[in-house]
Amino acid sequence: MAKFGFSRKHLAIPYAAFLILFVIAPLLIILYYAFTNATGQFSVSNFIGFFTDSNTLGTLVYSATLSLTTTAVCLLFAYPLALILARGGIKKRNVFLLLFIMPMWINFTLRITALKEILTAIEHNLAFYPFINSVIGMTYDFLPFMILPLYTSFLKQDKDLNEAAADLGANTINVFLKVTLPLSIPGIISGVMMVFLPAMTNYVVLDMLYNSTYIMGSLIGSYFAAYDWNNGSMISVILLIIIFGITLLTNRFGDENEGGGRVV
Amino acid sequence: MGNNIIELKNIMKSYDGNVVVVEDINLEVKKGEFVTFLGPSGCGKTTTLRMIAGFETPTEGEILLDGKDISSVPPYLRPINTVFQRYALFPHLNVYDNVAFGLKLKTIEVKDEKTGETRIKKLSKAMIKEKVSKALKIVDLEGFEKRSVTTLSGGQQQRIAIARAIVNEPEILLLDEPLGALDLKMRKEMQIELKNMHKELGITFIYVTHDQEEALTMSDKIVVMSDGCIQQIGTPEDIYNEPANAFVADFIGESNIYVGKMTDKLKVHFCDAEFTCVDDVKKNTMVEVVVRPEDIEMTTPEAGMFTGEVKSVIFKGVHFEITVISGKYEVVIQSTKSAEVGAVIGMNIEPDNIHIMMPEYTTNIFDGVINDSNMVEFADGEFECDVTQLYAGSSLDDEGMLVLADGNKLDLKGTEVEVEVPINAADMSDDENAGGTCGHIISLIYKGDHYTYTVRTKNEEDFIITDEDLWNENDYVSVIVPKNAIKLTLKNPEGK
Repeated sequence: MAKFGFSRKHLAIPYAAFLILFVIAPLLIILYYAFTNATGQFSVSNFIGFFTDSNTLGTLVYSATLSLTTTAVCLLFAYPLALILARGGIKKRNVFLLLFIMPMWINFTLRITALKEILTAIEHNLAFYPFINSVIGMTYDFLPFMILPLYTSFLKQDKDLNEAAADLGANTINVFLKVTLPLSIPGIISGVMMVFLPAMTNYVVLDMLYNSTYIMGSLIGSYFAAYDWNNGSMISVILLIIIFGITLLTNRFGDENEGGGRVV
Repeated sequence: MGNNIIELKNIMKSYDGNVVVVEDINLEVKKGEFVTFLGPSGCGKTTTLRMIAGFETPTEGEILLDGKDISSVPPYLRPINTVFQRYALFPHLNVYDNVAFGLKLKTIEVKDEKTGETRIKKLSKAMIKEKVSKALKIVDLEGFEKRSVTTLSGGQQQRIAIARAIVNEPEILLLDEPLGALDLKMRKEMQIELKNMHKELGITFIYVTHDQEEALTMSDKIVVMSDGCIQQIGTPEDIYNEPANAFVADFIGESNIYVGKMTDKLKVHFCDAEFTCVDDVKKNTMVEVVVRPEDIEMTTPEAGMFTGEVKSVIFKGVHFEITVISGKYEVVIQSTKSAEVGAVIGMNIEPDNIHIMMPEYTTNIFDGVINDSNMVEFADGEFECDVTQLYAGSSLDDEGMLVLADGNKLDLKGTEVEVEVPINAADMSDDENAGGTCGHIISLIYKGDHYTYTVRTKNEEDFIITDEDLWNENDYVSVIVPKNAIKLTLKNPEGK
């Protein structure tokens, strides 16, 4: 021990301070607002209000549908792509991987603005296809987060296993169904988490694509914009609980499948 | 022909068209045999096995299974199963599902008793269960069905891998260094168990290993491979007692290898002494002689056929390993008797313990071309040579033109020649610029008083060189050939 009483754990102080100031304190404030009414009295009316208001419930269902669709589209694109990248025997595959990851390096606003222009050129009026546009925008934004965990999970898979399966009588389809697919489940789970969770709360993409529809993110934003801290906070808390629940569920499921490319 | 289960005919395998890993393999395996591919790493034994399994297709040649060519049949349609080096058990399945993997995919033809039609049916669950328990019983792992394979020890995983393969009742079981990852004691046990399994099951086993002792213990037939070629095929006794060449003698067991000369009928001269042998080779032939260390008998200096001074004695448990210097030759002896370091002893060798081999190479032969400075280019380098030997009575003029005996001038540039370099003429140097070409030493064999090296240049031209100094494998050396040691002959004399 040094004579100033400095030990390695003191290095954690800056982060702890950051955590308290910007994560824990705001969370407590949100919790306080969520369970009080406009006059500052304890109340559960916000909570009950959420589940009785068809408007907020409808937004929740719409948000979930949108996120699920985006996740499904991402998975559909990313799975074969990651498989080919990892297994296709492509020379310089890192270059190809970079090609799919590169959009992440470009400024977000620039990216979505460019997408907006392209979509406008095709559709003329973006307001006609809010759902499809949101899915396209978010897929464009989140696709790399689906590709990477899948790619690493395919890379981690022992090639011998495929040969062993073929040796035991499995044709190409059976090798995929009985070995490659089950072993990539951890990769699928982390990819889904990395896309579904941000898609659930994201509203910037919709906003920038001149979208008139409401999702959870924009709902919270509109409550806060109207200085209704209490209802806005309650929606945030409920969203937080939903996400926490999903994370818990998938983590437990993911633990049973070893050797994947878990990121979350 | 009839009882050959598998035949390899002129099998060649190369990658990207130029890296040859297996060249011209011919092999016949009888039904029920235990055949071992033995060789150092990179000799092509695993590639050959993978071609039999179907993971690689031969570039040339055919693989016959029961007389039918299966070279292009995918692995899942071959009645062949493999035990992989690193087991390759499915981590997402438990022991039962791993073993049952092949059975669940299997279909059998069933005759419907009422209609008499044959239908293709999957195996019933009860039938699978019965076969799996039987296989687990064979590998001594009953009751492990529900265990996760990742919780098993290396030896247990190995057994599961074997069970998973034999449960399918293949015609041939391929084993790719299956015991490589196990510790010595475990390995010995598994060797015996595998041998017993082979006897009980009656399946043909094809086994790959680099461990010569393992090969000698287990096999009916050993295929010794080196550098993509088969060096010798034979029973363990044949391979040990009658090695076909210096490589086999050196690779299988310990051996003393010397260069010798036949001095008379059944008389051979080596180690500065004359010995009686049983191999009838023509008088004055240069030969290579192999004597196993346990076949040299120590005696008093007066009673010995030749004598030497004891340099070192090492206790090896069952025997002593005694190194003796006789003249300029080193002799290694294994004996239960010890000797004193520094003592002079006599040594005797029984005639039938002297094994005579014909040397593989006495000269290196290359295709070469004369370039514009009258040097000869071959083996990825250029060497100074005497070009006047191509035409009797010719000489060189000041401009480098060859003046023939009849006075005509000849420009030799581009002339194709055959180049011969005797193996004892070339020399090696670690200065890259000292010689005409450079390469890596890919093999070395000790021959009592000198080493025989194989130097491989970057385009895979091999130079055989004898040298008294010790170099290491993979050393990068340049090859020096004296001008007068290069013998040239015109390739097409009537041409230019």
